[in-house]
Amino acid sequence: MLRLTDSNTRALLAQPESGMGYQVVEATLSDYKTKRGVAYNAELLLFEEEPRRIMLSTPYLKLLESARSATGEIKSLRVISRATVTTLSAREPSGAAVQKKAGPATDGPKEKTKADEVFKRFSAYPNDRRVASDRSLLAGTYATTEEDAKNVKTGTDAVARYALPDPAPASNVFTIRPNKDTDIQRGIVEPAFGQPGGGVEVIFTNGTQPKTVTGPTKIPDA
Amino acid sequence: MRIRLEPHWTKRLLELPESGMGYQRVDIRLVDGRELKDVVVFNAEEIEVPDEFARAQIKDVRLHAA
Repeated sequence: MLRLTDSNTRALLAQPESGMGYQVVEATLSDYKTKRGVAYNAELLLFEEEPRRIMLSTPYLKLLESARSATGEIKSLRVISRATVTTLSAREPSGAAVQKKAGPATDGPKEKTKADEVFKRFSAYPNDRRVASDRSLLAGTYATTEEDAKNVKTGTDAVARYALPDPAPASNVFTIRPNKDTDIQRGIVEPAFGQPGGGVEVIFTNGTQPKTVTGPTKIPDA
Repeated sequence: MRIRLEPHWTKRLLELPESGMGYQRVDIRLVDGRELKDVVVFNAEEIEVPDEFARAQIKDVRLHAA
């Protein structure tokens, strides 16, 4: 059981609850091992192998006082989404019908792109290595829809919306115009790395064809 | 801290799918037998590791299985 640091608490408060007053989390420890547990009130973490009975027998504030500090013990905390069991229908701001899957793209159904569909990729790196020299995307590269990208005005917005682990603003914007019937999977970015996520993510499972990527153009960092 | 991967690791990572836009979550095995699980590689060329691994020699890199 750990009493979380202010930094841990801030990271958890940026992520959704799993239920009222608690979050089911995966903690990355200082040795980069991961452990699962439940964070209560974004301040007390009980690992899954620890008995829950103590929560019943000891007043919460006393538990909090007596818990060992998490200082130096936790690299990051990620709320484990329960959304993969839920499917939502939604419309993007344009009104275009979009089936938003409340789970990551890797769990999404296999689809084909439509004619003239456009995607965007936000990157901290102008020399983005996933954009090949023939201006194709490599297999397994992520992007977002053109509609979802309209929610992003700055590189810092992109870091939050797509839960990017690199805090450097993703201010380089690539535009992708794949051929019709290119293989993709769609999903919703889950909270991670202390970022809320929530944007649409698309994975080009087999990449895209040559000359389908342009840019980058630059948006403001913040 | 971040360390730059040798070009052959970058080449290998570019053959593997991303974990999200611009990054991959990987497990690495070091020449000395130690392992690091679920570390992040940015742009297939820079890896985030604890400071004590700054001079570590990598033996193998694999995508982290979530």
